[in-house]
Amino acid sequence: MASTGAGYDLSPTTFSPDGRIFQVEYATKAVENSGTVVGIRCADGVVLGVEKVMLSKMLLPSSNRRVAAVAPHAGVAQAGSTADGRQVVARARDECDSYDDTYGIEIPPSVLAQRLAEYVHYFTIHGALRPFGASTMIAAYDARKKTHELYVLEPTGVCLRYFGAALGKGRQSAKSEIEKLDLTKLTCREALKEIAKMIHTTHDDAKDKPFILEFAWLCEETEWKYGLVPQDLIDEADAWAKKELESDDEDDDGDEEMAS
Amino acid sequence: MLLYPGATAAEAPARQHTSRPIVTGTSVLGIKYKDGVMLAADTLASYGSLAMFKDVTRIARTGSYTLVGASGELSDYHALLDKLKGLAQANANCDDGFEHGPAEIYSYLRAVLYQRRNKFDPLWNSLVVGGFKDGAPFLGSVDLRGTAYEDDVIATGYGSHLALPIMRAKWTPDLDEGEARALLEDCLRVLFYRDCRALDTVVLSKATATGTLVSDPYKLETDWTSASFVAPKAGGDGDGGW
Amino acid sequence: MFRSQYDTDVTVWSPQGRLLQVEYAMEAVKQGSACLGLVGKDGVVLAALKRQPNELSGHQKKLLKIDDHLVIAVAGLNADARTLAKVMRTECLNHRYVYGAPLQGARLVQDIADKYQRCTQTYVRRPYGVGLLVACCDATGPHLYETCPSGNFSEFVAVAIGARAQSAKTYLEKHHKTFKDTPVEELCTHALQALACVEINRCAAISTPRPSFWLKLGHDLRDPRDRIQRAAPHSHPERPRIEGRLKFYFPTGIGRLRRWRQGTRRGGRVPSRRDCRWAVALD
Repeated sequence: MASTGAGYDLSPTTFSPDGRIFQVEYATKAVENSGTVVGIRCADGVVLGVEKVMLSKMLLPSSNRRVAAVAPHAGVAQAGSTADGRQVVARARDECDSYDDTYGIEIPPSVLAQRLAEYVHYFTIHGALRPFGASTMIAAYDARKKTHELYVLEPTGVCLRYFGAALGKGRQSAKSEIEKLDLTKLTCREALKEIAKMIHTTHDDAKDKPFILEFAWLCEETEWKYGLVPQDLIDEADAWAKKELESDDEDDDGDEEMAS
Repeated sequence: MLLYPGATAAEAPARQHTSRPIVTGTSVLGIKYKDGVMLAADTLASYGSLAMFKDVTRIARTGSYTLVGASGELSDYHALLDKLKGLAQANANCDDGFEHGPAEIYSYLRAVLYQRRNKFDPLWNSLVVGGFKDGAPFLGSVDLRGTAYEDDVIATGYGSHLALPIMRAKWTPDLDEGEARALLEDCLRVLFYRDCRALDTVVLSKATATGTLVSDPYKLETDWTSASFVAPKAGGDGDGGW
Repeated sequence: MFRSQYDTDVTVWSPQGRLLQVEYAMEAVKQGSACLGLVGKDGVVLAALKRQPNELSGHQKKLLKIDDHLVIAVAGLNADARTLAKVMRTECLNHRYVYGAPLQGARLVQDIADKYQRCTQTYVRRPYGVGLLVACCDATGPHLYETCPSGNFSEFVAVAIGARAQSAKTYLEKHHKTFKDTPVEELCTHALQALACVEINRCAAISTPRPSFWLKLGHDLRDPRDRIQRAAPHSHPERPRIEGRLKFYFPTGIGRLRRWRQGTRRGGRVPSRRDCRWAVALD
């Protein structure tokens, strides 16, 4: 029986001889196979964009959301298993509520991120549990520091703050696209279009299932409240991205002709 | 504390729950009118007979459709508002286009207050819930025992003795906004004259098809030229009362 | 037979990032007899094939009423469905007590889906082996949801689950665009035709596409009579008709049943007379 872990990969409580915990790595695989999720911390806010795969024609567009609000000033987008993701969302909501109950102010983004990280990490140290098959991007606003922040929480329990991040199938190309952007100047409205383009680029219409774009943001425009992006803006970004890609294709064709 | 003289240690410490309110607000008034529901209350928080805080708003908005006003213990009221805030946030998080209406919030408060009363640890409030959703006005009241009822006019505390008769006499279902406001202000004025825990600074609020609104506190005009105020004893030897 | 070392525990990820035990539980849903649902203009229709485990027994219960505004159809392990139905009924009742109003279907479904999910993340329990179709008419209109053992749930205009549900799905996919303008009475026809597709695939079939539940969005949401009715097609005054390629037969003798059975190679079960009250066959 061929196996990658040779028996060291059956429990999150087992280290392999070279110090790896395979079960956590396998859980990460579930995230890597999911639809692309992109998060960008722009000059005037944070945008989260999701490639939501539609498995059936008869599915309602509002179904299977991958973005969720957890507090007025905080929200998440998730890649991987939506069922696992919902548990993290539920925990995030509890943390936001209890912090508010105790201290009377909204939970600071860094505290929320760390508390969620502790929760997710707990599932990687017990034999009776399994790690989450979902990664979570957290967008939140810190009303006292006047900062908006983006965090990525992985199934390992690692949680880091980012300027731009991508998860799921198309993460590699999306990451390299994000690196080309000037994130100190980019506005949220511009980011919507850029993310739409990244997702369209990584999506292979011939091979992959059809998808719709799902966007949520938290920005000056929304008075630092987290919420879904209005549909007309999504449609606009979608149309722009498709047009850009078409003209890119034409350019490519032109180059080939010149070369020949 | 011993349950009774001579009680054993095992029976000993009797547990004490809230047996009286500490910082309180007095009456809340509410009426239905042509466009929806209007609630009014003064802004005094009393510590026994001491007028302790004079700028406490006792009517709050919760969700998009509902107003909750309270007389009684103000800390209990604030705890209830915290719960309602959680409820509103849970609705917002779901983002499925549904939000609890005033009738549901009234029922929820009824359940909470009744549950606490059954634990012999009541939340010491009389609440007035007003709201407007799906074209229908709602006005209801819940007290510290979980007793709940709906009506076209509602008053809590001293208001149920002093204001309710006036409201019932003057109320019609087709009052316009100005008339409704005048009626409530008349009642608040009478309460200020007669209720020793009332204040002339008040807050007015309404729930209509366009949403809910709570006013800033403002002062009522008062008139102390009435004969019984000028000559309280009116020649008699009494203490000035009736 | 291929055997993976990653497929015996729910809490073990395979190197590909899959949970095989959960996937196997999803297979249990496909073993259950088909059920389907459609959302129309003013309500939702659920319909299911009721199997009879043996000739002397009664038929399965496929449609369970949860509350006045909410019904589920089940495919998979019926015993698992019953425990879930019990939880759902309790939740609905509690909500009615606390809020004095019916529970929003979407929120109940999410709670149930979370319950499914928790079974997939702890060692001590197995995943639920049942899929549910949840039909409800609540404050935001008529809705149809599907839940499955993985803990995923989705909202649909129309959907089918269970054995050979694909053929019903094909039918529904062909017609679903018209459903949103269709009153429930007509949707019943679609529901029965889609169910018939399931059995036709088995070539010449016998089934009981009998009482379907339909929920109708009434004027007053608090009046139960307005909201839910049993629409037994054979007794309902506006009974839906199956037209086109399908015909109904009312078999009279066992001999005839046998002949039918020979056509259904894979079935292997002698249909009873009760089974054939609504027998559907190819034209």
